[in-house]
Amino acid sequence: MDAGLLTCPDCHALWPLSMEGEYCRRCGAELHVRKPNAMIRTWALILTASFLLLPANLLPIMQITSLGHQQPATIIGGVIELGSHGMYGIAFVVLAASVLIPLGKLLGLLIMLAALQLGWTTNMQQKMAMFRIVHWIGRWSMLDIFVVAALVALVQLGNIAQISGQPGATAFAGVVICTMLAANSFDTRLIWDRHMTQDTHTDEQRADT
Amino acid sequence: MTPEQAELIACHECDLLLQRPIILDSQAARCPRCGSTLISARHNSIERSLALSCAGLILILPAVSYPLLTLELMGNAQSQTIFTSAMALFSDGLWFLALLVLLFAMIVPACKLLLLFWVSLALHLSIKLPGMPFAMRSYQHLDEWGMLEVYLLGTLVSIIKLSSMATLLPGIGLLCLGGLIIVTTLSSSMLDHDLFWHQIGKKQHE
Ligand SMILES: [Zn+2]
Ligand SMILES: [Zn+2]
Repeated sequence: MDAGLLTCPDCHALWPLSMEGEYCRRCGAELHVRKPNAMIRTWALILTASFLLLPANLLPIMQITSLGHQQPATIIGGVIELGSHGMYGIAFVVLAASVLIPLGKLLGLLIMLAALQLGWTTNMQQKMAMFRIVHWIGRWSMLDIFVVAALVALVQLGNIAQISGQPGATAFAGVVICTMLAANSFDTRLIWDRHMTQDTHTDEQRADT
Repeated sequence: MTPEQAELIACHECDLLLQRPIILDSQAARCPRCGSTLISARHNSIERSLALSCAGLILILPAVSYPLLTLELMGNAQSQTIFTSAMALFSDGLWFLALLVLLFAMIVPACKLLLLFWVSLALHLSIKLPGMPFAMRSYQHLDEWGMLEVYLLGTLVSIIKLSSMATLLPGIGLLCLGGLIIVTTLSSSMLDHDLFWHQIGKKQHE
């Protein structure tokens, strides 16, 4: 940006700053120096995801009917059940995918937003590494949804055993999608902009004294 | 782009402007400031992408249409394919979830393979096909929304959950799905975005 250039978001071609808002001549993407409204979009998606986290964990994600006996199952309930059967490995995988990863992602994104708004621009390399992990790992929290999809398709045996999906699963899918979109709409370059201006400020202060 | 701009490259994660590094086959250049991958060269990227997308397009039909698992309990049998798992959610009234499963486990992976096939075919034959920049952009944006491997893990977890109450038989679809996941993962890692855009850009100006 300082050199009077902007980068195409999709094909990474460089164009003069005067092309802001126009379309890339190589790939046709809309050009912006920084992603427009990155902070507001990220905040909105994070808040939506946090609200959806409640119904996702409190409402049942499926209903198990076995020999006329009905039993709702929540995400945490499923983890505890796996653990009580001694399947700790798989219980941990499900716990990680459905609780730890969504919470960790929200926390990671909040740290990035705080870094941007409060100017915590130390340890930038670690922050970037954390953001890349948050970005990459996000899709794996869809695991529980696909488990429900598989169980619902397989256990359709009428009176003997029947599993049906419940609205908690929809809320959980909403959490996953919102956090993925939030990571996509965040612009890490904004933190670097702040990092650079703070560096020049301290340089000026040193020059004054 | 002017020639001097083509010599430069900006990090898309921290916006540091650098001289475009010259890298050899199967090397990658990282941003010295933030550590993101700037460009990564892949040996025969176009040919490999073409071959892998062909293989994927062959595998995707059996992977989505043959049963992944069959459950047997007291003389009853029930099979699962990606499509029936979406339909089962739909019949439970969860149409949004059904749509997501269809999208992430069928439509997006199929579109990704078709788009990659289209672009790499055009670049391999060095002909200009319509919609190449659009196809490449769509591929990049769809990349993270194809979730075949997550779906496979979900199916494996459901095997473990059900193994105590019923007999589960793996189907031919499970094998095809495994193969398809290997092919799509390889095609993502073999794709040299920088090279593809460079070649597409050249075709645009012919
Ligand atoms: Zn572009
Ligand atoms: Zn960088």
